[in-house]
Amino acid sequence: MNNESKYNIGRIYFAIFGLIVLAFGVAERLLGITGRSFELGLLEMSGEFLLWQGIILFSAGAFYLSSFKNFSDIHQQAKVVMASVMIWIVAGMQIFGMILESIPGGEDGGWFNTAEGFLETYAGPYIPELFLLPFSLVVIYYIRLNRQK
Amino acid sequence: MKLSVDERWDLIDKISKETVKFGEYKHTLKDALAEITVKPLTGIPIAIAVLYGFWSFFGAFAGFFTDGFLVKLFDGHWLPWLQDVFPGGLGNWFYSIMVDAGHMESGVLVAADNCFESFGVLTSGLFVAIGVVLPAIIAFYLFLIILEDSGYLPRLAVLIDTVLHKIGLHGFAVVPMILSLGCNVPAVTATRNLETKKQRFMMMTLLAIFIPCGAQLGIMLDVIPEYVGFVMLYLFLGFFVFGFILNKIIPGRSPEMILDVPPYHMPTRRNVGRKLWARLRGFLTVAIPFVLLGVVFVNVLYLVGVIDWLANVFEPVLVGWFGVPKETTAPLVAAFMRKDLAVGQLMGIQEQLGMVAFNTYQMVTSVVLVSLYFPCVATVAMIIKEGMQDRGKGVITFLLGSLAVLMAVVFIWGGLLHLIWIILGVA
Repeated sequence: MNNESKYNIGRIYFAIFGLIVLAFGVAERLLGITGRSFELGLLEMSGEFLLWQGIILFSAGAFYLSSFKNFSDIHQQAKVVMASVMIWIVAGMQIFGMILESIPGGEDGGWFNTAEGFLETYAGPYIPELFLLPFSLVVIYYIRLNRQK
Repeated sequence: MKLSVDERWDLIDKISKETVKFGEYKHTLKDALAEITVKPLTGIPIAIAVLYGFWSFFGAFAGFFTDGFLVKLFDGHWLPWLQDVFPGGLGNWFYSIMVDAGHMESGVLVAADNCFESFGVLTSGLFVAIGVVLPAIIAFYLFLIILEDSGYLPRLAVLIDTVLHKIGLHGFAVVPMILSLGCNVPAVTATRNLETKKQRFMMMTLLAIFIPCGAQLGIMLDVIPEYVGFVMLYLFLGFFVFGFILNKIIPGRSPEMILDVPPYHMPTRRNVGRKLWARLRGFLTVAIPFVLLGVVFVNVLYLVGVIDWLANVFEPVLVGWFGVPKETTAPLVAAFMRKDLAVGQLMGIQEQLGMVAFNTYQMVTSVVLVSLYFPCVATVAMIIKEGMQDRGKGVITFLLGSLAVLMAVVFIWGGLLHLIWIILGVA
């Protein structure tokens, strides 16, 4: 497969992904403004920073979509990279927070968490950014492709 | 050897041929990333994401150490042990200063069961300094150093330049602004990168009044976690409102900024470690003694009745104008030594008075007042030092000017918050 085809696939992939990210961003912003929360299976949208998460996701989605035209251009790809970095920041901080939360015991517990409590911290539900994280990693392939070019 | 002008030019040509490569420069992904972080349309959402990361990291890291381990250590082990072994016991003046002042319950003096309420040098003092503030300071400086060393901070300066120009400052002002979120003392020194006396006066005054330090932020996260965002927004709004007014009334010029922005690069572990240690050393050697001294100072004032006298004198202003209980006098006195200590004391007072006498909104107003009312003593000392360097004999005018702004801000901005609560029907 030549580079042009690879960029074409990338353009379509990130356009679809951008729409999904944008939709989550809109939902988080609306919930953040109205002060409500949403939970469906393992997916959860709630918390005090929901509005900010929504603004970040919405912007990331807009960055992905705006890179649709002329995707092989380096400046367009920079937007895709930055959109992915924005998702990584939110998701990364969520994971970091979970890890730190899982280690100490509760308020009335011992110094360290029990094995059960430790695993429970990771049981979910999760914020949308955590579901979007693996799909945003595709950008690494395009960064590498760019370096080879 | 002396060269003629022609020979010098020949030499320059020779060197440049050997060292400079000519050709078409192709933009790399790094260049493109650098560009989009300074353009407002893309740069602002990226800045929001970075600041979100900053805030989340700060909260998670500080919470892990403070709530996860240090609260248990201080409240569950350190305080009971000191209450057992320290000579004197409840009611003794030395014991009150060092360990536990106690509080009245149904006319009986009872011992505190947590370090926020005990008000002792070895309990509240150490708990605030090491248990709450130290983890917050480490988290803050670690993230700040990574932003500095990666090359993002100068880009943030460029991005925010337009906004700061509206209040007579420029993008470089973001450096003391962000440093101030760690500690106001180095931030006052950092105002040296502003060119004119007007800009330096404005920046020093505004940051000393409106920007809470990392230590205060850390304890605010513990005391009023849901309202920290609101308090910060209110303070930053005040920063811009009063900045705009000061820019209009203070004579002087605000020149343009020319900034060489370095490329993005990965921070090295060695550099981050060295910088972090240098800044932490400053905190450990300067701030912690001030916290402990602050507790002694306030406790002595309590014991000799000065705090009660001040509370009665200022009651009409505190209760009538700001809508907070007169008991907030003691934290306001302590705030002159350390603002983090003052916020910690507010928490203890709220626990003693109960939520009816000291509700959440009064707590938020008190925290805002602690931020606004006077910079801590270390910041004042630094402002005097910098003011002397800047103005020489005019340092008195400089200080009086700052003080006048401070008084106006406290009454207007503090009173306005009370008015907001009245309009919302919660005060």
